[in-house]
Amino acid sequence: MRDKVVFHVNGERVEFIGNPMTRLIDVLRDDLGLTGVKEGCGEGECGACSVIKDGKLVTSCIMPVGSADGSEILTIEGIRDTPKGICITEAFRDGGAVQCGFCIPGMVMAAYALLEENHHPTEEDIRMAISGNICRCTGYDLIVKSVQLAAERGGRLWQ
Amino acid sequence: MAVRNYIPETLEEALELRRDEHAIPLAGGTDIMVQHREGIGIAPDVGKPVMIISNLAELKGIRRRDDGFVEIRALETPASIASSDIVPWHVRQAAARMGAIALRNMATIGGNIGNASPKGDLPQPLILLDAEVVVASVGSERRMLLDEFILGSKKTALRDDEIITSVLIPEKEFTHLFYRKIGTRRANAISKLSLSAAAVIRDGIIEDFRASSGAAGPKVIRSREAESLLTKRQVSEIPDIADDFIAAWDRAISPHAMPRYRRNTTSRMLLHFLEALQDETLTGIIG
Repeated sequence: MRDKVVFHVNGERVEFIGNPMTRLIDVLRDDLGLTGVKEGCGEGECGACSVIKDGKLVTSCIMPVGSADGSEILTIEGIRDTPKGICITEAFRDGGAVQCGFCIPGMVMAAYALLEENHHPTEEDIRMAISGNICRCTGYDLIVKSVQLAAERGGRLWQ
Repeated sequence: MAVRNYIPETLEEALELRRDEHAIPLAGGTDIMVQHREGIGIAPDVGKPVMIISNLAELKGIRRRDDGFVEIRALETPASIASSDIVPWHVRQAAARMGAIALRNMATIGGNIGNASPKGDLPQPLILLDAEVVVASVGSERRMLLDEFILGSKKTALRDDEIITSVLIPEKEFTHLFYRKIGTRRANAISKLSLSAAAVIRDGIIEDFRASSGAAGPKVIRSREAESLLTKRQVSEIPDIADDFIAAWDRAISPHAMPRYRRNTTSRMLLHFLEALQDETLTGIIG
């Protein structure tokens, strides 16, 4: 039986001692200060809390921290200063993807998870990849174009 | 904290917790965490001990067995099921249409069955295919048809010392396959209605015909009575049988909300499939 949860967040070892039903988002935001992870709906529908767990996009508001035991979690803070993170950030800026910005950390994580798996996504692939991320400002078109831009500009970065 | 929650490290530990504390298994958490959510900064409280089994390696894996079944272990996700080339087509279709990407990476087949929502995506095609479920308790195991395991809306035959360990799907070739999920949008939609159908037609004879309706009653519905009207009959007889078949199916389903819409749409999907069966140029996946 595990008496604590041990996992990595953005490459750093984290030990959590407490109720394993604690939501991962609360550990990330409140205990670790990673406030780039946003809480929107709180029920896994809007994607604002998206993080990457062992290479897969997940919604941290409906994941108990106990499920993260032994895993590698990546948040927007963990990719921000990497070449891939910078590539997506600049593409979102240049493509005009951001209005209020609340959904954007989740969108960036969804785009990152997509581009890691699919280096040359079609528009349909991108729309599918961000289909669990809701944006009430942009109407999505500029976000889709910006992800395309990140794929084109990144080129070999994603291979 | 009112109750203690656990993270067992082996299936054996999980089964003992289930026997001793009747701890609720949390697999992907996508139902439990939403049903019991308390808001920002507060851990969901189920009111009973929970055991988080998300990472039990013994409950992962998809394989083709040598007895004619495909085995999907309970913790496999819709994402892995949808991308597996050994999982039967109808089940892959349903898995691919569940929620959106993050949910498909988290939810599990065991959880989707255990939650037993009539709108659950996976039980519908699994019941079409006569899938079985395997449940384990300390020192024993039992296996039964999923159609018999799910008793009604949110009710299963799972005992409080048991855990769902795997799903077994008999492998079968069909000449005609149909799957449709109707939701308000393509992603993140809970089914308003879903229908699977399959047939084997050889030399103008309907050797096998089956269908299953999701979200059209307290559980997934198959009508053996309706299916038997078509089985072993000639394709050329379908126009004479269609009305009776549709009427029999309509008697079998019992949609709760918007019943006229659900009955009408179910009939139209079934008629669409029956028409395709009569068109010799159409085989395989019927769009």
